[in-house]
Amino acid sequence: MRAARLRNALALKGLTPATALPEASAGRAEEAAIQPAQLLEGDTLAWRDVGGAERCPEPLAFLDGVQRLEPLAYLGSSPLVLVEVAAAVRERRDRTLRTVVAERRQVVIGRPAAIAAAGESLAGLATAALGEETPPHPVRDMADAGRLADRLRGELEIRVGSRFRSESASWLIVDGSLSESPAWAADPRMLGVAKSHAALPFDGAELERYLRLPGGHRSSLFQPRSRSVAPVHAFALRLWPWEGKDLLYGLVRVELAPANGTSETADRLARWILAERAPISAPDRRWDRLLYGIHSVEEYLRAAR
Amino acid sequence: MDDPIAPIGRVVATELKPSTPHQFYFWTARESPVGIGAIVRVDAPSRTVYGVVTDGFAYSDLMTPMHAVLGADGDPVAAADAPSDRAEIRLYSAAVLRQMPEEPLQPVPLGAVHLASDADVVLALRMDAYTGGDRPTGVPVGVYAAGGSESPVYLDCDFLLGPEAAHLNISGVSGLATKTSAVEFLLTSIFQAFPRHKGSVAAVCFNVKGPDLCFLDQPAVLGDADRRLYEAMGLAPEPFAEVRYFAPHKPDGVNLNTLRTHEALAHNTEPLVWGLREVLDFAEVLMNRDDVDAKADAFIDFLAERVVGREYQDDMLRSKPFLVESFADLEEFFRCIFDFMEVLGKGGEVWKTHHLATIRKVRNRLSNICTRSKGLVTDDGSANDLPWGRFADRSVQVLDVAGLDPLAQDLVFARVVSKLREHLERRDLGVDHVVVFVDELNKYAPADGPETYVRKMLLDLSERGRYLGLVLFSAQQFRSQVQRRVVGNAGTTIYGRMDMDELATPGYATLSPATRIKLGTLPKGELMLRHPHFTQPIFVRFPRPPVMTGREGVERFPPAADLPFADAVARQMRQLDRRISSDAVRALVDGRREEDVRRALSATRRARPDNPEAYFTAALGRRVLAESIAPARRGVTPVRRLDDPYAP
Repeated sequence: MRAARLRNALALKGLTPATALPEASAGRAEEAAIQPAQLLEGDTLAWRDVGGAERCPEPLAFLDGVQRLEPLAYLGSSPLVLVEVAAAVRERRDRTLRTVVAERRQVVIGRPAAIAAAGESLAGLATAALGEETPPHPVRDMADAGRLADRLRGELEIRVGSRFRSESASWLIVDGSLSESPAWAADPRMLGVAKSHAALPFDGAELERYLRLPGGHRSSLFQPRSRSVAPVHAFALRLWPWEGKDLLYGLVRVELAPANGTSETADRLARWILAERAPISAPDRRWDRLLYGIHSVEEYLRAAR
Repeated sequence: MDDPIAPIGRVVATELKPSTPHQFYFWTARESPVGIGAIVRVDAPSRTVYGVVTDGFAYSDLMTPMHAVLGADGDPVAAADAPSDRAEIRLYSAAVLRQMPEEPLQPVPLGAVHLASDADVVLALRMDAYTGGDRPTGVPVGVYAAGGSESPVYLDCDFLLGPEAAHLNISGVSGLATKTSAVEFLLTSIFQAFPRHKGSVAAVCFNVKGPDLCFLDQPAVLGDADRRLYEAMGLAPEPFAEVRYFAPHKPDGVNLNTLRTHEALAHNTEPLVWGLREVLDFAEVLMNRDDVDAKADAFIDFLAERVVGREYQDDMLRSKPFLVESFADLEEFFRCIFDFMEVLGKGGEVWKTHHLATIRKVRNRLSNICTRSKGLVTDDGSANDLPWGRFADRSVQVLDVAGLDPLAQDLVFARVVSKLREHLERRDLGVDHVVVFVDELNKYAPADGPETYVRKMLLDLSERGRYLGLVLFSAQQFRSQVQRRVVGNAGTTIYGRMDMDELATPGYATLSPATRIKLGTLPKGELMLRHPHFTQPIFVRFPRPPVMTGREGVERFPPAADLPFADAVARQMRQLDRRISSDAVRALVDGRREEDVRRALSATRRARPDNPEAYFTAALGRRVLAESIAPARRGVTPVRRLDDPYAP
């Protein structure tokens, strides 16, 4: 039976048809979980029409980072990996995005024995050691190196973002979560836009309502539980209508400082983000959730290698 | 030494768009002074490359137009509201002008791209080979302008006026003052910058339409921008100092057939008048392909060698020798032949091996010259011609043939170019180089149609003229409509604004689409230039010529009205001597036959005597008073015969 006919049949049974899982919307599979959040706006999770797109009247900047892993050698079965992490802020003035802060860092990651064996050939390069709790395994070690690279990239993003904010009063939109840094989480001119939904803030009927948010609407404000170390407020925002595609299509989670946590401010910020749908960041396959400014930073970092 | 000027771009090369030894790509900021035709320099370790921009590309990171529609929700108005502009590239392709070092010839390296400075332009166009040293041969042709700089561009006169290469051809649509203006400016430049060590130079210009070239001796009113260009090229914006105008008469034989008849311009405007002797050698010009056969040719040769200009005795025709010096004398000669053949030849068909039909054909064609070239060719044998053998250095002779029948124009062109060639071969013209300027070349050397005398002559001129110092500057609207070998032999080619249909012809296939678009929209005063030293076409800007345009000239010096015969003669006499009274001339010519007056006037003009009035009077000869013939006497009244039965 063809998928389209099957979808129709399932819809008649009361199921919601979907086509394809939006690229990178699920995050890491091992992180998929329900992490109940505290609702901050109303008694039940509601949909709020934010009133259409509205261009941010102030200069706006975007922060993102990239990482690249390149195997260098093996000591026995233990890999030595060159990791390059980079982060940049591109600020928009007069509709034109320009890079204002950028940093890049190379680190060699491996087990201590592999790093020691490399000796002076790594002179001038920073190194980071993997744990030795488990015996060497090339696949697992590579995955561990990836996680370490994630952390290094996150640290670099925080440094670059903080540097930008210390020098500029412009609004800054971060690709991902604000709670990576307590300073960011409290910054009233920063927003985090998360594309992945491995961790979901509700369950049951509220989760269904959360995932069926109509286009151009936001959810009620909530406080993600897992971010309690650096508390932020958040809401879900549907950038593009999802119907006929997937529940996660065009869905982002917007994080903001508690100082911005009023309904009116959240609506205004949601309208700004809706305006950032255009130009769309195609041909990137995440274009339904990827803001063009963030896409521009990624392109810059990849091209400037 | 560090270059104080920041680069404006960087060379990029990909597998799909690689650099080659002859072409490369570079990107620039969105706002940059680079445009089509800009000259750039690429700096790389141990190699410098000069190139000229031939095409430009701009594109964004948009993969498909559908994404733009999606991003704007299908609303074109909303598309303009997007808060960010898409990332956009300005990518240019450039053709290599020169690589330094020249060997080994390699692909253009990935390097910084700079706009060319004045010094770069000299190197890029290889002008260093002929603008420096003890014996420079550069002649300014305009300025290369980009990014606020104006660098003079020079042509090598060894390749413009010979002997290495020669000739110049200009194409461009009419009405934009490109072709004529460019030639006027270039002649100004040649006259001022042609190096003395290369010898002397003069120009012969054919004015074939309107008043285009009628005011070369009058200054133009130039603006500051034009003066700045002259200054940049080291030229003085001055009109030609020595110009002589020649124009045929109108059919009345005294009023000049030109728009340059204002009295203030009369001092260097004179009639172009030829007689039988001058045109007989060019009878072929006036004949069509069917006419030109060996028999007619032989009979014309016979006339030229045995009859015209010398005594010819043939007792069979008449006892008195013939002295054929005019068309009237020639007609008398033919009449005698026909009479002889009819009466004494007893209806025979051949006279001195020439068939009667051939003689009649040649007679018809030759007498046709007078008819079709009336005003240029006189039937009385007098002539007023260009100063053969006395051409002055930096002088211009303008032949205004705009009012002539096309066939007569061909005759003028053929004879003048032939005479130039003869004199240059003998090295007795008075100058070493002559530039011949012909507009509407497509008319004289068309790409198709029958072979004509003029086309053959132009071809010969374009192929061999450079060895003699005889240089053709030609112009036409549509290059594709001109004989390929004629324009192909032009070492230097200039293009003004072009018609898009013309640009679609195969002759322009080597130009990039952007260059063709630029040619189709070129503003006044800009040209595209090909020259043997330049490996790619170059765009230059040139100032308005320092001479009055035809339109301005006609407004400032409106042509004089045609005068009655006697007044026209008086005006011409007063041009020779302002003291001569018009009334006195009118009294002198009163009652005279017009052909006698014309002959006397022509003789006076030719002789340029100290006392023109006395000479003219003597040339007119003694007035022959008309005899009054007494009415016939009434005869004797016949006697009425009364016996005539039929008498009334």
